[in-house]
Amino acid sequence: MTTLAREFTKGLWDEIPLFRIVLGLCPALAVTTSMENGLGMGLAATFVMVCSNGLISALRKIIPDEVRVACYIVVIAAFVVCVEMITKAYFFTLSESLGLFIPLIVVNCIILGRAEAFARKNGVLASLADGFGMGLGFTLALTAVGAVRELFGAGTLGLIFGERVFLSQPFGFLQQAPGAFLTLGLMLGAMNVLGKLGKR
Amino acid sequence: MKNSIQMVVVLAVISLISGLALGGLHQLTHELAENNILKFKKIPAVADIYEVVAGELPPAEREAVEEGLLAEKRLVEIEGESILFFVVRKESEPYAVALENYGQGFGGDLGVMIGFEIESGNLVGVGITTMSETPGIGTKVRDASFLAQFPEMSKDTIFKVKKDGGGIDAVTGATVSSRAVAQAIERAGAFYQQHREAIVAAIDVVPGGEG
Repeated sequence: MTTLAREFTKGLWDEIPLFRIVLGLCPALAVTTSMENGLGMGLAATFVMVCSNGLISALRKIIPDEVRVACYIVVIAAFVVCVEMITKAYFFTLSESLGLFIPLIVVNCIILGRAEAFARKNGVLASLADGFGMGLGFTLALTAVGAVRELFGAGTLGLIFGERVFLSQPFGFLQQAPGAFLTLGLMLGAMNVLGKLGKR
Repeated sequence: MKNSIQMVVVLAVISLISGLALGGLHQLTHELAENNILKFKKIPAVADIYEVVAGELPPAEREAVEEGLLAEKRLVEIEGESILFFVVRKESEPYAVALENYGQGFGGDLGVMIGFEIESGNLVGVGITTMSETPGIGTKVRDASFLAQFPEMSKDTIFKVKKDGGGIDAVTGATVSSRAVAQAIERAGAFYQQHREAIVAAIDVVPGGEG
């Protein structure tokens, strides 16, 4: 049981996808214009990661090594299309604002990475815990980046405070792609400093 | 040998099951998704056209108008296809019909809702429904400054951007998207001219048969 808990928690801090293993940058840079988008994207990716990790782990003894990546991609793509259909049916505004980036979860390297590095060598429960932890970590990271960019770039935090405006003259630059790199870089640096302080 | 057969079989079975599962999910969700597109994309575009007829609406009233426009949805069978259109009323008399059509934009199909005055066939107004154009560039075709040129445009206008010898002012830097809008209007205009009678006859046919 303790190992299960560890598989889960490692994704939240020690190996948090965006800040520690710097993967999944494409959605992280593209959709984090607001906290809400970051959260939505993170949850969509989490769903796919938990499901694909679980299924790939369950099938790990059947899937031949030679075609494993093709099999993983089919499984991942199927879950991504599920997410796409579900958001279109039940969360239409979110699916509009995330647009193309929902189908692009298929090529999110964290998901394939977890399948290749973890799910194919570990049991179903451990893989589920790993997928859930990693997904949640990814969600946390995206939400944090989105919150910073929205707060300073647009002056709002729509998800929590609705229409309220915090900055009347926001730095609109942070809403653009270069602002995403800047925000992410600064947050990565801050995480590294925090990590070092924690070790001392 | 045994191994290569296993490879093919496993991959094929996984793909087959995925395909079947997705097909099933599509059956479950596509109606809801269609409804969402109707509610969040098509109806607001029709409401834009309605605003041209009735004058600008305060946001509070717009919601009620959009609600009301749902009841103005009509279906007409033309050449074996079921065509969706909306009736726009002026003082509760049918004044215009709104049809959707598509043009080839930068990011795939660009959907445009086009209102035609029933009698003359002239344009009443235009609203954008679905698009995946480049944010900040192609999406400018949704701006009021671009759409304002369409009300009262004659049906005899050449629906092309000025660069192509037509009568439509393109958005600077978004010629492809502007062309797509022009193309959609041209298609819808030709369609309306050709099938005007069938469309007008369907105005009073409320789907579901209530009066």
